[in-house]
Amino acid sequence: MKYKHLIYLLIAFAMPMLAHAADNMQALFEKGNQQYAKGNYKEAIADYQQILKVGYQSVPVYFNMGNASFKNGDIPSAIYYYEKAHKLSPGDDDINFNIQFANLRTTDKIDVAPEFFLVKWWNSFILMFSATTLAVWSIVFILLASGALIMYIFTYSVTIKKASFYSTFILFIIGLFIIFMGNRQVNYFDTHHQAIIFSGAVTVKSSPADAAKSLFVIHEGTKVDVLENNSNWTKIRLPNGNEGWIVVGDAKEI
Amino acid sequence: MNKKYYILSILLLWAGLLFADDVKFTASVNKTQVATGEVFEVTFSINGNAEHFAPPNFSGFQVVAGPNVSTSMTSVNGNMTMSNSYSYDLVPTRVGTFTIGTASIVANGHTLNTNSIRITVVKGKPVPQNSRSRQMQYDDDDGQGQASSVDVSKQLFIRAVVDKTHVYQGEQITVNYRVYTRVGIMDNQVDKLPELNGFWSQDITDQKQTAQWKTETVNGLRYNVADVKQVILFPERSGNLTLDPLGMTFIARIPAPSRDFMDQFFGGAFEDKKLKLKSPPVTIHVDPLPEAGKPEGYDGAVGAFSINASVDKTSLKANDAINFNIKVTGKGNIKLLKNLNVVFPADFEKYDPKVTDTITSKVNGIAGSRSYNYLLIPRHQGTYTIEPVKFSYFNPATRRYVTLTTKPFTINVAKGANESNVTALSLADKQDIKLLDKDIRYIKTGSAHLSKEGDEFLGSGWYYLLLLLGPVLAIGALVYRKWDEKNNSDIVKVKSRKASKIAAKHLASAQQQLINKNQKAFYDDLFKGIYGYLSDKLNIPYANLDKETIAAALKAHKVNESLIRQLEETLDLCDMARYAPVTGIAERDVFEKAKTMINDIENEI
Repeated sequence: MKYKHLIYLLIAFAMPMLAHAADNMQALFEKGNQQYAKGNYKEAIADYQQILKVGYQSVPVYFNMGNASFKNGDIPSAIYYYEKAHKLSPGDDDINFNIQFANLRTTDKIDVAPEFFLVKWWNSFILMFSATTLAVWSIVFILLASGALIMYIFTYSVTIKKASFYSTFILFIIGLFIIFMGNRQVNYFDTHHQAIIFSGAVTVKSSPADAAKSLFVIHEGTKVDVLENNSNWTKIRLPNGNEGWIVVGDAKEI
Repeated sequence: MNKKYYILSILLLWAGLLFADDVKFTASVNKTQVATGEVFEVTFSINGNAEHFAPPNFSGFQVVAGPNVSTSMTSVNGNMTMSNSYSYDLVPTRVGTFTIGTASIVANGHTLNTNSIRITVVKGKPVPQNSRSRQMQYDDDDGQGQASSVDVSKQLFIRAVVDKTHVYQGEQITVNYRVYTRVGIMDNQVDKLPELNGFWSQDITDQKQTAQWKTETVNGLRYNVADVKQVILFPERSGNLTLDPLGMTFIARIPAPSRDFMDQFFGGAFEDKKLKLKSPPVTIHVDPLPEAGKPEGYDGAVGAFSINASVDKTSLKANDAINFNIKVTGKGNIKLLKNLNVVFPADFEKYDPKVTDTITSKVNGIAGSRSYNYLLIPRHQGTYTIEPVKFSYFNPATRRYVTLTTKPFTINVAKGANESNVTALSLADKQDIKLLDKDIRYIKTGSAHLSKEGDEFLGSGWYYLLLLLGPVLAIGALVYRKWDEKNNSDIVKVKSRKASKIAAKHLASAQQQLINKNQKAFYDDLFKGIYGYLSDKLNIPYANLDKETIAAALKAHKVNESLIRQLEETLDLCDMARYAPVTGIAERDVFEKAKTMINDIENEI
């Protein structure tokens, strides 16, 4: 019973601190940016890392972290954080540019297996906006459609009734489509698990065992699709379609 | 006058005496230990004018040659110095210790003696002369050639002489291919020049056309020496590199063994022989340049250099030319220097540099300067800076890398005479933005847009709630609309509902009094309520309202007679209740009655 008061007291103290936490993080973010501007990339990384350690995620923090890692010469980390930022905001031009640029510095040159152009278009289409943007727009369109429907219900004027009927129809279709897009995007990231190779050189095996045949060697910074996890081994696929198994520790999942 | 001559003659005599005192007569041998059959040389030399040379007794030795008399005369400031030497080539005949006795000579009336020299004779190979003569008796030319070439290899050979054998990659080495000879050479011809694989080579240019003969003593033997080929080498890779041999053909005059006494008497016979010789290969150990401290942009320069940059003008008009000159001066692999990495302002038109070498190759190495002349044309006005040029080289002497930096130049470019014209005339003069370098895009600043991991908006409870809000509202609106339509379809019902609403409005205060059980006030308010309603309904001012007017107005509206009567009764009851308590009728009944009446009137009018 005694302790109960203490806990209440702690909660009373902690509540405003939690509210301040976001402010602190913003200050940390700005401090990291200043360190980056001065060229102190290591310090900048440490600052950004502190934000991420608490469990926050943010496109600017991931992006800046990637930049600082890149400037620090740590290409695999740079790509890893760029990809994380890309996942949150797939349509961001800066992120996509830096991913491409950082990939020029990796060892492996892999010819991407050609994808059917419709699939490619569709993927780039559903990744055009971030999930949050799609969510907000879907709500806006559904609300607008509902508004038009309500107008249709209550109006007596035939022209307004006609106009509101068609706009309800169109707005509703758009809203549903955006919901579908968001759903597809979430599904895309759920099914496309990707990982960045962090070890200098990784031998890809034909089956999840040390004694298995070595198929090929990939190097740090290469992005691979994760197909399956099997306790200590991960089944991966390269962009050119080759598949194999690597030890879990060699790659870091995005 | 006479005195003067005396003094002079005395002085001269003194000088002569002094000179006589300086005269030295020495004996020397080129080796004190010899093998039987081995030829050695004993030399008696005197540094003055002398006569009556008496050789010692060479007991135990056979005189092979000599006395070879050589005289040299030098005249310095009118003083004549003379030196004579008498040399004998001796061959010991027996093993043991022998003494070469003193030789004597008379110089300026004095008799000078040499020291005696002890010679130890050990057992050696059989006397070559004997074997040669023996062979001569039986063999023909072939055998003789073989025999003499063995002998000749000591008399005539080629060597590659290098100034160092342990160098760094790119460090220069001087190689002299030298001919050593003790025999007369009638003719020579170079058969094969060395290929010098793994080296960059440069022949020494100050070499004279004809070979200069010098004397050099090798292993106690005197040789005439001439440089056949002098070359400076720069190793191009590390490791052990071998200098190829130089092959030459000589026609040498070799003393032939005398066939008879007469030949020997006349100084022996000679034979011209054709000899093919090769220099022995020499291995050079080349170290790679150290990795530690290697400056960025190091381009392989080894030696000692200085650098100087200059421009011919620092202010000019646009489209005028400017010369930027960089001169690298020093000793080392200047010819192997690559183009310098000069950063010019991006807007300058830059041409490939004109490279001028002023290089001399001497025995002590390649030295000189290389100048790079860049022609630059600024195309637009402004102030530009030519960045300092960095030049790094490795100094093998200190084993360190040295980086030299020139000073930067600021160039002021004024507006050119025809600059505007050019731009106006053609669109072709417009230039693309030059892509200087590629870099990642800069970091994102501003808000961090933080969110906790795992609480994305899409898929959250709020998202679904807001998404459903619209349809729910629309369905609600539809339901309401339907209900509304249904209610409004029965006109009578609608009317009565409206009337009862109006009655409730007017009788509100009466109802309040009814609840309060204030009888007097209840009737009062009920009366006021009915009056108020009728006043509103019949559009008659409240002040003008009385029973008769009401009845008349209601009749005019064709209201039911009984209803009018009922209304009059109720109004009377209310009037009466104001002055005396009402009994026999409950207030609630009166209230309900009034309400029904209002409803009825409302329905009828």
